Amino acid sequence: MTDDYLENMVPDSLSGLIFGFEGIRNVVVLLNGPTGCKFYHSATADNQMLRQMSFDPHNYPMLWYFGQPRVPCTWLDKRDYVYGSEDKLKEAVGFLHENVTFDLLVIVNSPGAALIGDDLERIAMEAMREAGADTAIPVITVESPGYSQTVMQGYQQACRIVIDAFCEKPARRSAGRTARPKVNLLGLSIFHKYYQGDLQEYERLLSLCGIDVQTSLCCESEIEEIRRLPEADLNVVVDPDYGLETARYLEKNYGMPYVCPDGLPIGFEETERFFTRICEALGCDVAPLIEDSERARARSFLYISRINSLTGQPKGVRFAVHGSPAQKLGYSRFLTDYFGMSEDAGDIWETDAKLVFADGNIIGGLKARGHLFTGIETGMPSLGYIDVIPKTHLGVNGALLICEQVLNGMV
Amino acid sequence: MKREIAVYGKGGIGKSTISANLSAALAAKERVLQIGCDPKHDSTRLLTGGRRMTTILDHIRDTGPADHRLEDILCVGYREIGCMEAGGPKPGVGCAGRGIITAFELLDKFQLKQQYDYVVYDVLGDVVCGGFAVPIRREYADTIFLVTSGEFMSLYAANNILRGIRNYDGEQARVAGIIFNSRNLADESVKVEAFAEAVRLPIFARIPRSEAFAKAEKAGKTIVQMGEAPAQLFEEIAERIRGELALYPARPLTDEALEELILGAREQAHVRKQAQAGAAETPAEKIPAPELSPTELSSAELPAGEAPSEDAPAEDAPAFAYDPGVLSKNLIRSEPLHGCAFNGAMSMAVHLRDAVIVAHAPRSCAYLSWQTISSTGRRALFERGVLMPSSLMPNITATDMDESDMVFGGTERLLEAVRKAAGQTDAAGRKPKAIIVISSCPAGIIGDDIDQAKAFSTPDCPVVTIKADGNLAGDYLQGMLMTYTQLAKQLVDPQIKPQPDTVNIVFEKVVAKNTETNYQIVREFLGRMGLRVNCRFLCDTGVDEVKNFCSASLNLLGYRDYTGKILEEFFETNYGCRFFERQLPVGFEETAQWLRGIGAFFGREHEAEALITEHETEYHRRAEAVRKDLAGKRLMVVTFNHQLDWVLSAALDAGMEIVKICVFNFSQDEGFRTLLPQAEGIEIEENYDPDKAPEEIRRLAPDILLTNYESDAAAGDILVDTIPMCPDVGFFSGLEMIERWTRLTGAGRKGSWHKDRALVEKYFAR
Repeated sequence: MTDDYLENMVPDSLSGLIFGFEGIRNVVVLLNGPTGCKFYHSATADNQMLRQMSFDPHNYPMLWYFGQPRVPCTWLDKRDYVYGSEDKLKEAVGFLHENVTFDLLVIVNSPGAALIGDDLERIAMEAMREAGADTAIPVITVESPGYSQTVMQGYQQACRIVIDAFCEKPARRSAGRTARPKVNLLGLSIFHKYYQGDLQEYERLLSLCGIDVQTSLCCESEIEEIRRLPEADLNVVVDPDYGLETARYLEKNYGMPYVCPDGLPIGFEETERFFTRICEALGCDVAPLIEDSERARARSFLYISRINSLTGQPKGVRFAVHGSPAQKLGYSRFLTDYFGMSEDAGDIWETDAKLVFADGNIIGGLKARGHLFTGIETGMPSLGYIDVIPKTHLGVNGALLICEQVLNGMV
Repeated sequence: MKREIAVYGKGGIGKSTISANLSAALAAKERVLQIGCDPKHDSTRLLTGGRRMTTILDHIRDTGPADHRLEDILCVGYREIGCMEAGGPKPGVGCAGRGIITAFELLDKFQLKQQYDYVVYDVLGDVVCGGFAVPIRREYADTIFLVTSGEFMSLYAANNILRGIRNYDGEQARVAGIIFNSRNLADESVKVEAFAEAVRLPIFARIPRSEAFAKAEKAGKTIVQMGEAPAQLFEEIAERIRGELALYPARPLTDEALEELILGAREQAHVRKQAQAGAAETPAEKIPAPELSPTELSSAELPAGEAPSEDAPAEDAPAFAYDPGVLSKNLIRSEPLHGCAFNGAMSMAVHLRDAVIVAHAPRSCAYLSWQTISSTGRRALFERGVLMPSSLMPNITATDMDESDMVFGGTERLLEAVRKAAGQTDAAGRKPKAIIVISSCPAGIIGDDIDQAKAFSTPDCPVVTIKADGNLAGDYLQGMLMTYTQLAKQLVDPQIKPQPDTVNIVFEKVVAKNTETNYQIVREFLGRMGLRVNCRFLCDTGVDEVKNFCSASLNLLGYRDYTGKILEEFFETNYGCRFFERQLPVGFEETAQWLRGIGAFFGREHEAEALITEHETEYHRRAEAVRKDLAGKRLMVVTFNHQLDWVLSAALDAGMEIVKICVFNFSQDEGFRTLLPQAEGIEIEENYDPDKAPEEIRRLAPDILLTNYESDAAAGDILVDTIPMCPDVGFFSGLEMIERWTRLTGAGRKGSWHKDRALVEKYFAR
């Protein structure tokens, strides 16, 4: 029975909004809604961007944190849907002002709360005033979470709201470039499975090219960094599904150029190609990065060659990819072009692939159906492996990790 | 009951006055209940002499669900008319439409309507959102009147109401007609008559504009009570309602047609007036209506007792049975809700493995539930390679409600999803054996009626609806309880007779990691006694097993906690099922008692004793072995667990001293339970304040602190260990835990990583 009904449920714009704002350091994202919308977002935000040392719920107050470190909420119930959420919102804001230090307060309506039409902005402003809060602390309100829109749309909406709130127009761009050019990274969120490793790898590769990162918008960025976002020389879109619209917005409204790959730049060749474009745009030397990549390719070659000599693989090994459009393109291209593998692009639930690149739900679902394959996790949720060392599938190190996972998965 | 009458009309059109007079007239011969469904809550003012009353929604806001009392919201008015006001938020905040839904849910629980012959709903008709459409729903009003004047906006509202009715009824006939409340406007009759003709409805009555209404209003009475004209008109309307009442389907006009009609009617009237040169307006009535006969009634005295009982105490209200249904602890205690009923319902319903779950929800709600459902399965697969099908591949589909559904309603999308689910087959050609529809907050707030999905119900594939409405119904536990009880009510066949040697297992904790391994242990015990399990309610079971629930001679509770006891009472009361008094056993003593009890029930004492004997020697040998390390050690427990005999008995067997048991408040349980004879000598503190722990730990100086979360509260050499919320069943659980303590005693066992806390602050600040 299950075979016919299982679909891969994906998060929607509510999660995109929350994870977008949660990616800002020292922010409080207050969910105006029930705890049912809160628990997952708090747990995921905390798992991805560690803040607490213990899971003891007593470390965090019942109201309004419900024993979790992130995403306090107003625990709306049926009475509030009828009479409005103003009282609880004001009480929650007062509590946060008294007990939590934050640089930014964001209030996001849950899908249910958005229907009752409370004036969030007025209530928030009154609450802050009544609490005696510093008027310099910015408050952002989001009245509609965007029903069933994509998580990417939600994330990019959060980015745009933050840009509008903190970035001055016209851009305060320096007339002449400083010694080292700066870029902003767009399209990385804390919802990306390996975002910490992704960030580290991009910073490393850019540094090889003599480029600094001004900020990674809504991905461990600080408000002051975001304010200075327009000072960067170029916007680099890491994941086009999560960042292209933001790049276009910044180009149109701030005159900032951008480079964007057509899919996730996964693998040695795409990494070299993408960073060459970045360096060309900034007049930087990509040679150190190319050398770094070539060294890694040499290492990869050794391992692949040994397996290949024994088994003839990896060429022809069937693989399947499930994920966002940018992920599918990026992984497929690398696995096909570099390893010579063969893609099963059909229905993921029907796949006979030996390697499946997907999130934990897909991998678990396929295992439960009796499929025999190796699952390689590419997105959230995870099956449960705890990554102490930051990992990445992006850049040169990402290509090496995928190589490692492919070789181990095949054997 | 004879009729439920909904009186709809634009705000300010006079529907409350008409409703009150109609109620007053009907009450001359029958028992009448009038329910005002307008946030301004003045529908029944003329029946109660203007007495202020607590609205239903204010009552819901101010009291918990277990404390709702009818007498607090039901006022007895003129001619013993039951008067209630739904109430609602102040203008500009909240959702008045949702308020109507909430109010009606409470009324259903009082089963109040059955006590009256007529129920009159006075409903605002300007906005026909899902909430205000509640009285239109078929289980409420069977007769609908539209009150309108000749004003365009009033006719526009009347037409909108017809649209709402048509959405629910199609070609069904429920509209009795139009009550034309005259404003004495130019060409008014022409317009109303043209509208009535166009929508093929009779003008049921014509209410003349009369000063008598204003006079009665001032007196806080109906004109029926005042006995002034046109009271007779309402008596006539009441008499017609008592008789055979012709009903008509709703046939609304398009906006364009309505506009054309009204403007056209105006032009026609102009032409006619010119032609008739001032003759009295005598429009042809297509459908007979009572004559305007405002008979002047004499000011006859009203019979004693018919005046509004202004001083009638609230206690005079009849005592009705209030059935709030099963309620979670959060709801009963009016505590903040932990999680949402939608998620709780989804998490339980997926365990009906041959059913399809249709989540009527935005994508986010379905996704969040799936994460809850799949997390246990993912971890089990990763950690132990265990495959949990219900968790890893739940039969969920979702309607993915979007912005347009929020505005226009999502029922059509739901029906399409249910139709699709009902028609699907699996690889073996099997159709689903049930479809379970669960509603989210947005679906509940906009008033989508998920019961419409029952139209797809067949004997082979019933459609079960669970109106969780997100967290409107309550918390996660409430959703679980709703699913247990609704699936039982809608699936269990009470005619099935108990079969020998058959048991059900009721209420396993489906999110625990060890649910499956525990079940295997229990199944082995039962198998050794020659018993079979019919149904695991609800854990990885089938629709047929649930239908055959009553085939079990004995039901075994997984957990005898708050939820377990509710389910036990539910099945005993509604199905006469028998339950074993002990929960699934953890630890030696519990397991031995559990086996002996079940063995005695089924006449398998020898098999039970054989099982106990097999394990008894080993238990005592191992318990004796740990005594040398643990005897005399002081144990303190600080926990969310409300049942700990399994580990406490092992600790006592090892000669330990239990210095104190501190039990935190927990959203899913209450009342610490122990059967240990030694418990009387142990200090037990419930609803424990966690802030007290550090000082008490210092004062009591335990050797071992048992908690759910290891913390720094216990400084120094105290050994801290964590206790699982759902321990393993079987003989050795408690023993295995205390054996672990013997390995953990001694310096350095905590690990030197503990010393690096400061480094986190130094290098890892967030």
